[in-house]
Amino acid sequence: MLEVHKLSVSYGKHTALRDVSLRVDRGEIVVMLGANGAGKSSLLKACAGLVAKHENTAIALSGKDLTDLAAHRIVEAGLALVPEGRGIFGDLTVRENLELGAFAKRARTSEKDNLERVMTLFPKLSERLDQDARTMSGGEQQMVALGRALMSNPDILLLDEPSLGLSPIMTGDLFKALAAIRNTGVGVLLVEQNAHQSLAISDRGYLIENGAITGQDTALALQSDLAVQKAFLGLATA
Amino acid sequence: MLSYAVFSGITLGGMYALVAMGLTLQYGVSRIMNLAYGELVIVASFAAFVLMTSAGINPVIGLLIFIPASFALNWAIYRILLSPLVARAKNRGMLEVDSILATFGLLFIVQGILLVWFGGNYYSYDFMNGAVDVFGAAIAANRLVALGFALVFGLGFYLVLTRTRMGTALRAVAVDPQSARLVAIDVNFAACFAFALGGAMAAVGGVLVSMFLTFSTSMGVAFTMKALIVVIMGGVGNMLGALVAGLILGIAEALVATYIDPGLTIAVTYVIFLLVLLIKPSGLFGRTVS
Ligand SMILES: Nc1ncnc2c1ncn2[C@@H]1O[C@H](COP(=O)(O)OP(=O)(O)OP(=O)(O)O)[C@@H](O)[C@H]1O
Ligand SMILES: [Mg+2]
Repeated sequence: MLEVHKLSVSYGKHTALRDVSLRVDRGEIVVMLGANGAGKSSLLKACAGLVAKHENTAIALSGKDLTDLAAHRIVEAGLALVPEGRGIFGDLTVRENLELGAFAKRARTSEKDNLERVMTLFPKLSERLDQDARTMSGGEQQMVALGRALMSNPDILLLDEPSLGLSPIMTGDLFKALAAIRNTGVGVLLVEQNAHQSLAISDRGYLIENGAITGQDTALALQSDLAVQKAFLGLATA
Repeated sequence: MLSYAVFSGITLGGMYALVAMGLTLQYGVSRIMNLAYGELVIVASFAAFVLMTSAGINPVIGLLIFIPASFALNWAIYRILLSPLVARAKNRGMLEVDSILATFGLLFIVQGILLVWFGGNYYSYDFMNGAVDVFGAAIAANRLVALGFALVFGLGFYLVLTRTRMGTALRAVAVDPQSARLVAIDVNFAACFAFALGGAMAAVGGVLVSMFLTFSTSMGVAFTMKALIVVIMGGVGNMLGALVAGLILGIAEALVATYIDPGLTIAVTYVIFLLVLLIKPSGLFGRTVS
């Protein structure tokens, strides 16, 4: 279980996140909905150890304190991030990308099982193992990114707008894969602007505005929430 | 005559390729443009000389000592001199400028020490001087030994980088250090390791070169230049490119020295270099990056 307590992040004088607290359990998908610049990416990056946090922040994974760990140790602790823009190694092959996903010591013993799991999830990748990752289509690259993250055998998976640039059909496939991943016991924190499709597969959701959490509920309740509908589901105001 | 020229060109080219591989590793993974690189090659040459002439221990056994020693020395150089620069650099460009200045200083320190110790004369030592017949040409056995070791180290290095998880991790750091952290790679450690490994390659090159060439304390700069040319000509970060470019340069130099004039070798080196860059700016095996 991932517990974020009073997370604050600043870039110089600009405060991007203020006292954000949230929780993600294993085996659930939690969606974080927010407009451009709300601080969604900052939130995920802070959890992954890529940006500096304020002092009173506390982040823990299954009781282990992650707050001051370096990024590579956070992966080792069981938290994997698929960043905005995917962050795959374009010059390396798909196989090498997946292999590096299992660079973490925690992933070595289960590497074979995890690779099989990724191949079952994304059969397309198994035909493309020796292709350079940068020559894959956008959707395929997202599969590589997700596959690479799964190879690290994470307890919690953080995804930053995975549907960006994908067709609705491709997004549907991707989200189905996420649901399958959740069912294996992994906890997923999903940052999205695509509220329709993401709420449909999520268990719970948070709303983030100007760097602060402004609401949280079950996905079902959020889907019928008027404010959410106005802000994210494109409901015309009467 | 021709086969002699070609063979000595291949030997020389093998040395260039080997030395360039280490430099491109340091630049690609550690992001350090190491201007003192050639000095470390020459330090190894002198170390092999001292070992041979004062203790009678041959350079092949010397390799067993100098490879770990150079690895450790370069590890220390990175930790003491370079990691403070890495820590304070806000971006890649800043680190590049800082590291060029720092290693430029290092160049003078190393060269100064060598000069005090050995003076400006040319040095060489006797090691396997007997001739061996290769396709009708009489080749000194020491050249064959040096070439053999260059092949072994070059190939081994290539295989480690492309076939092992550690090697793939180093390449990943070269491609995208930020993403490398997301797959649990300790990027600082990788940079230090790559720098030390590159330094060990420089030592191998220096020891092998000393087996068949005369050398002097001022030759380090020439090695740095040649290595840089080979790296850029082959495509930055590309090991296969370094190999091919190194061989081309070595053979061209040997042919020019044999058939035209030894004084023209450097000129020809630069002409080939410029031609390659004119036709393919990203190098022989380089990709045009956006
Ligand atoms: N490296 C940075 N330096 C300065 N300001 C930054 C930096 N990264 C983000 N910000 C600012 O912090 C705020 C939150 O950015 P963030 O990227 O977290 O938003 P986001 O919710 O992910 O937006 P989007 O939906 O567009 O991806 C923005 O105002 C942004 O300009
Ligand atoms: Mg974002």
